[in-house]
Amino acid sequence: MTTVALRVELRRPRRVVVGGVCAGLALHLGWTTGRTRLLAIVLALLGGAGILLYLWLWALVPLAPTESDDSAQVQRAAPMAAIFVGIAALCTLVVGSVMVGASPVLVTPALLGLTLSSAAAVAWSLAFDRHDPNRSRGYSVGVRSLSSALLLASGVGVLLVRPTAINAVLAVGIVVLGTALLIAPRVVALWSDLMAERTTRVREEQRAELAAHLHDSVLQTLALIQNRAGSSSEVARIARAQERELRDWLFLGDAPIAADLSAELREVAAAIELDYAVRIEVVATGESVPGVAALIAASREAMLNAAKHAGGEVSVYLETTPSGIDIWVRDRGAGVDLEALASDRLGIRESIMGRMTRVGGSATVRPGAGGTGTEVHLHLEAQQ
Amino acid sequence: MTTVVIVDDHSIFRSGLRADLDASVAVLGEAATVDEAVALIARLRPDVVLLDVHLPGGAGGGGAEVIRASSELLTSVRFLALSVSDSAADVVGVIRAGARGYITKGSSGAEVSRAVAAVASGDAVFSPRLAGFVLDAFGAVAGEQASTDDELDRLSAREREVMRLIARGYAYKEVATDLFISIKTVESHVSAVLRKLQLSSRHELTVWATARKLL
Repeated sequence: MTTVALRVELRRPRRVVVGGVCAGLALHLGWTTGRTRLLAIVLALLGGAGILLYLWLWALVPLAPTESDDSAQVQRAAPMAAIFVGIAALCTLVVGSVMVGASPVLVTPALLGLTLSSAAAVAWSLAFDRHDPNRSRGYSVGVRSLSSALLLASGVGVLLVRPTAINAVLAVGIVVLGTALLIAPRVVALWSDLMAERTTRVREEQRAELAAHLHDSVLQTLALIQNRAGSSSEVARIARAQERELRDWLFLGDAPIAADLSAELREVAAAIELDYAVRIEVVATGESVPGVAALIAASREAMLNAAKHAGGEVSVYLETTPSGIDIWVRDRGAGVDLEALASDRLGIRESIMGRMTRVGGSATVRPGAGGTGTEVHLHLEAQQ
Repeated sequence: MTTVVIVDDHSIFRSGLRADLDASVAVLGEAATVDEAVALIARLRPDVVLLDVHLPGGAGGGGAEVIRASSELLTSVRFLALSVSDSAADVVGVIRAGARGYITKGSSGAEVSRAVAAVASGDAVFSPRLAGFVLDAFGAVAGEQASTDDELDRLSAREREVMRLIARGYAYKEVATDLFISIKTVESHVSAVLRKLQLSSRHELTVWATARKLL
């Protein structure tokens, strides 16, 4: 029996210095990280082979899988953007020294170096630092404005001292690049706003089209079903519940978002409609007021009584005036004789009248107009 | 016998309603679009037009456009709006164009027949929800009250009482009993409110209706 020593898979870790290539490679090969780094630097000095190898591995080696307690974002220890800005600053110094009399041979490579390193700094800050929790917004703003300041300063400086043709072209390019870096974030923000707005508009148009279609076909059909099935049948109740849900979805924007008393009453009514053969019409007038628990509970009890003992059509009317809140619940059933059920039916006495009295309101139960059915009137004075 | 034309773009709904209406109503014809409806009403001159609020065709104005196009017939032909929703949003446009009332499409054949009879005899048909909307729109709940009878922008005390009872689900007869007045008086109050609803330039009504492109 032989033991096979399995190598750790080649993966880039998520807490890294630059790209995580050396650390990953060290783990994979079983070397120390220092040794791989040294090797990389030596290779880099041999005509840049190390840099190419590094970039190649960086592009192809996948990230290590996320551990549950670890942040999914890659965190980089080395402030590469700042290092690139530093290189750009060095190049600017070289350009400046040429202007005060040093050898002009260095101007073109210095301008090229400046362009490359400041572009690299901004690219790094946009591509990596934006997602890195260790880098603040101020840091990337600093990187961007420093880079463009260096570009603009050396570009304008070179143009001022009668440069050679190639340097003049480079300098103009540098000025353009510097300006672009300054305004780029704003342009990007504008563009993404525009795209977001367009997406929203398209989505809204689609929604409106869908709503119009549903309104024209499905709502009509649901109305027809209720019409044909009779208002208190099972089928009609299901159709009505569906209609209400669909309507809520279609006209979501029209309804007040905060739960006010009328919305809560409608909710209670909808729930009762599902359980009993009854159709409850809730009409609300006056200012929107927040729900009062006792009032809702008492109305619920009144609606339940109407649904259980009367069924058919039940009307609920809510009126909020500056002086108080009134709710009428009216059914068209056989009616209740309050004297006869004085003691045995706790429902009305306790859950409606008792509740209202305890919060300082009042409740009256009387036969409906013309002697048909029952009408419950709840009243609550406005709070002073 | 009341003669009726049904205007609705859904043929299933038209035939269903036609079968459900009781013997006191004679259906003369059906139309599915604004243009068809205008032509048919001008030709047949029914007592009552059962008119869907949402209709295709014409300039896109739906039921309200049919009424406006038939405005010179309004003295003899009466319009009863049918709406799939019970929201005042759908209804105020047709009422202001000249409809004498509205009912929801979920109403039974008997209810529609009763409403047709009421409209044919010159009365207005108010649902509890429309009454609630009227109370809000005219500021009646907040305590505003007309000082003279011909004021268009506010309700009189009596009109307010009648509207409140209708909002509570009372039939005209029950309103009459409760307020110790005759049914005829109730009907005239309701008609007066309907007239105010149609003619008032009250800010809430107009702003509200223009916001929903009803005017």
